[in-house]
This record gives sequence, C-alpha cells and structure tokens, in this order.
Amino acid sequence: MNLFKLVWAFIRRRPLTWAFNVLTLSTGVALVLALVLVSQALDNRFRRDLADIDLVIGAKGSPLQIVLSAVFQMDTPTGNISLAEAERFTRSALVSRAVPVSMGDNVQGARIVGTTLDYPKLYGAELAAGRWWGQPMEAVLGASVAQRLGLHPGQSFVGAHGLVGSADLHRRFPYRVVGVLKPTGAVVDRLVLTDLGSVWQVHEHPDADERATDPNRREVTALLVKYRSAMGALMMPRLVAAVPDLQPAIPAIESARLFSLLGVGAEVLQGVGAAILGLAAIGFFIALFGAVSQRRRDLALLRALGARPSLLLMIVALESALLGLAGGLIGVAAGRALAAYAGHVSMAAASGPTLIPPPAGAIDLAAIGAALALALVASIGPAVIAARTDPARELAGA
Amino acid sequence: MLLAEDLEAGRGDRPVARLSALSVKAGEAALLLGPSGAGKTTLLLALAGLAKSFSGRVRIADTDILALRGAALDRFRGRHIGFVFQDIHLLPGLSALDNLLLSPFAAGVAQDRERARALLASLGLGDKAERAAERLSRGEAQRAAIARAMLLRPQLILADEPTASLDDPAADSVATLLLQAAAETGAALVVATHDARLKARIANQVMVEAAA
Repeated sequence: MNLFKLVWAFIRRRPLTWAFNVLTLSTGVALVLALVLVSQALDNRFRRDLADIDLVIGAKGSPLQIVLSAVFQMDTPTGNISLAEAERFTRSALVSRAVPVSMGDNVQGARIVGTTLDYPKLYGAELAAGRWWGQPMEAVLGASVAQRLGLHPGQSFVGAHGLVGSADLHRRFPYRVVGVLKPTGAVVDRLVLTDLGSVWQVHEHPDADERATDPNRREVTALLVKYRSAMGALMMPRLVAAVPDLQPAIPAIESARLFSLLGVGAEVLQGVGAAILGLAAIGFFIALFGAVSQRRRDLALLRALGARPSLLLMIVALESALLGLAGGLIGVAAGRALAAYAGHVSMAAASGPTLIPPPAGAIDLAAIGAALALALVASIGPAVIAARTDPARELAGA
Repeated sequence: MLLAEDLEAGRGDRPVARLSALSVKAGEAALLLGPSGAGKTTLLLALAGLAKSFSGRVRIADTDILALRGAALDRFRGRHIGFVFQDIHLLPGLSALDNLLLSPFAAGVAQDRERARALLASLGLGDKAERAAERLSRGEAQRAAIARAMLLRPQLILADEPTASLDDPAADSVATLLLQAAAETGAALVVATHDARLKARIANQVMVEAAA
C-alpha cells in the first residue's frame, strides 16, 4: 500500500470526469505551446533572413513590400532601380557592404536571383557540391530547390518569366547548374542564385543590342546595404530618400510592422488558449471539490485508521498533480504535433518560408510545469476541505 | 484494558450522550446499548478520541486517551485501536489485501503482507485477497474489515452496529468473529448496538444515558 496506489484508486472511480478535465487542460496547453513554437519559428526564420542587412534600397513604393520582396523573397518587387544610381551608395564611406539583387524569373516557382557572390555570404551559405558561378548563365541552387527539382551540377534548366510558375519560358537562355548549397535554414535555401549578368542577358530585348552594352542603362531590383558604423543609420535613409526614384526600407522596422500585423491574430489565439487553460483550472477545481464531497466517508475512514489530516491534504493535491502532469504531457505532445503540422502546411504552400519549430527543451518543460502548477493551485481549496474532514460527523452521521 | 468513567461526548458545542462506567478486560467484550439516535456511535468514537468529549476519563492500557491531541492522538489511534463500522467497510478501487494494508499505511507503521494474507485466509477470504473491494459481497467486505481491525494487534476494537441489517445466522457468525478477534489479539472489544440478539452473547452491557 502506498500513496500512489491510493490516489490511483480514487482517480479510477471518476474516469469520465477526469478524462474530460485532462482533455481540456491538454487542449489549452497544446494551443498555447503550438502558438509559442510557431511564433518562435517565424521569429527565428525572419531573423535569419534579415542577416546583417541594415537597409534595402529599392524602387519607389512601399518599404514593407521592398523588404518582403528583396529580403524575404515573398512579395513582388516595387520595380527596378538604376545600377548606376545604386552604385553611388555602394561606394559611400557609410557603407561597409552592398549586395545587389535582381529578380524577375523563376524555375518551377523557385525565384532566380541575380546577385554577386556576397549574397550567399550574408547567410553563411556553403557549397554542398560543385562550385560558385563564374560567368552569366551559371547557377547555384539552394538546398531545398535542388532537392525539389532534382537538379545536380552539370544539368541545365530554363527559367520562366515572372516570380511564380508560368508557361512563358526563356528557352533561348538555358541555365547550367554549377553548384548546390548546403541547407542554411534561411531564404537562400529556396532560391536559385546566378550572376547579375544572367538576368540582363535573359531580359534584354534582342533588337536593342546597344542597351546590353550600355552600363548606364543597367538595372537591379534592390541593393542590400550593411552600414560601416552607426552614422550610416542616421544618414543613409535620408540620402537615399533624396534621390527621386529610390526608396529606403529598413528591414528591422518593416519586419517589426509585419509582426505587429501578424501579432493580432496570434494574440487572439493565445487569448483563446489562456481561456481554455482557465476553464481547465475551474474544471479541476470543480472535479476535485466533487470528488472530496463524494468521498467524505472514505476520508473519515482513513482518519479513523490513524491518518493525519495532512495525509488527506496530500491525497487531493497528488491526485490533482498527477492529472495535471498527464494533461501537461499530452498537451506538449499535441502542441508539438500541431506546430509541426503548421510548419508542414507552410512548407507545402510552395515557396512559402519553411517553419522549423525550435527543438524540444526548456519551453516544453515550462509548459508541463505550468500545467502542474495550475492543477496544484486548483487543488488548494479542495485539499484543505479534505484535510478538515470531521470523522465524527461522517462516521456517526449514518 | 479499557476503562471509561463519566464520559460525556457530543458534536459541536454540547454533549449528547453520557457513559457512567465501562470496564473491559483484554480479550473480552462489552456492549454499548441504547435506542437509535441515543449517541452510541458518538460515544464509541469518543473512546477513540474521534468525537468530542466534554468530561470524564478514558484509559486504554496505560494511556489517558483524552489527554492526547493532534498527531499523538492520531498515532495512538492508528496503532492501538481497530474499527469495524456498520457500512463503511472498504475503499473501492483497492484489493481486499490493500484495504487491510490501508491500516498500517494510514498509521505510518510497517506493512506486514504475510500477516494480512493469513488473516484474510483465517476469515475465509484466502482466495479473494487480490479481488477488488467493490467485487466482494457485503459479508465478505465486513469480514475483511474485521481482519483489518485485527491486523496491528490493537488494544481496543470498536465495532459500530456490526450486525444491523444481517439475518440471524449472519449476525451470529459476525458476533463470533468479533469475539474471536478480540480473544486472538488480546484486545478489549466494545460493540455499540441496539441489536437484542447480541445481548445473549456478551454479558458486559452498558446503557448509554442522555447527557445532563
């Protein structure tokens, strides 16, 4: 005979009540945990994509759109900017590094980005196979693109016009795969990288040969800028804004705005999760209260057998704690599954950012601990009532 | 073994029943008689310190039970007093054996499984030790409760209306079992009852009086 056996015997007498309350508790835990995991995954994802980019210079338009298109590769660009104008900033003393990006084509939904070798360096991307590009029409594939399209170094593909899949193929300008990147967890995984010159070559009108050779007319989509010092943050946006066709966009500000937009939905769901947790706490309280009143005479019997009031208190607290623990464990398992499913759904949505929830750790323990604490708090009142059982009243009242 | 004098017991703030004198030797038995509602159970519980006593003296062996409080009282009750109630016998969800072991568990003393099994066997429940309490018949549950009362070799066994609602043969056999239990463990047995059938078996009889 031991305390656990005794408590288990009590729990078994009310299987449906407890099944329902554990279900409620685990639902609340799962919902809150899944939301925290998904928002952490989003946060990590965006943080990685932001790399060290302090400023994006794009064509006049919405700064949020510029950041979404040029950094996260999720929206269409606002337009193109003149390479000559952009290069004025590249050479500025305020800038330590400026990476041009040029978009316009895709291969089966994966964006083809013309850039320099500085771009993969932003994300610490390394080659898994092959080599970097050395001339126009050579391409290096991000890890998930290579896997999805089944392309290896040496093979060729043609791009399609636009940023999503289309039938408008540039058959005259096939790309040759020269390298494949290792996974980085960042935006480069789902991009096809190539030389800036490739994009010009593919898009220049066949009749206008002089444009191809005129460097003053060349365009890029955006310039990703890293400042040399804090002075850059003070000066650069104003300098860029002064140029009529250019729009400065600060990724830190725009992604904060984006999060505040997404945050509303997350807050609502988090509120729902908290409400379910509150309901679970009330459910535990009511169930324990009912259990204690139902077993008054059993508790009185234990007192007659020599049990101290503290033992009756512990029985109720342990009963609640065991069920709270069960709710926490089930909730964490379900929350993990929910977050993994959300990540999977976002992956399935073609070129959307893949979400990888953070690995199991402190947050899961915290969720289980919270469920346990909630159950224990709910048990305080009923446990005290149990401890105050008056054996004379229960045993003589028959 | 048990000596009670001028014991007034009750619930709340006033005494309801009085016991002028009760003396039971080790291994022997006494009846606490009185009509229903006279306060027999309350007096019985007061003998174990479970109901409130207002005056009088109760000694079990060398212990003045009314002087004990809190943990000391609970410890003494757990180790030295066995109970058999009218209808609260066993805890459902636990086996008969575990219900016996509930007594040493609640009292915080070592659990002697072998003695518990032997007691169940001696009461004809040898093959039902592992059976869940709710699957035992009423009579079997009561016998298991008697075994539990004997388990720790108490100095006093208190039984509350053990034969109420039993037919004659069953009442007779329960009386026999209780007397044997007292004799075997050397405990004083006090039976609170209004059952006239027990008067023929136990000569030491005390009437419960109304409190002054």
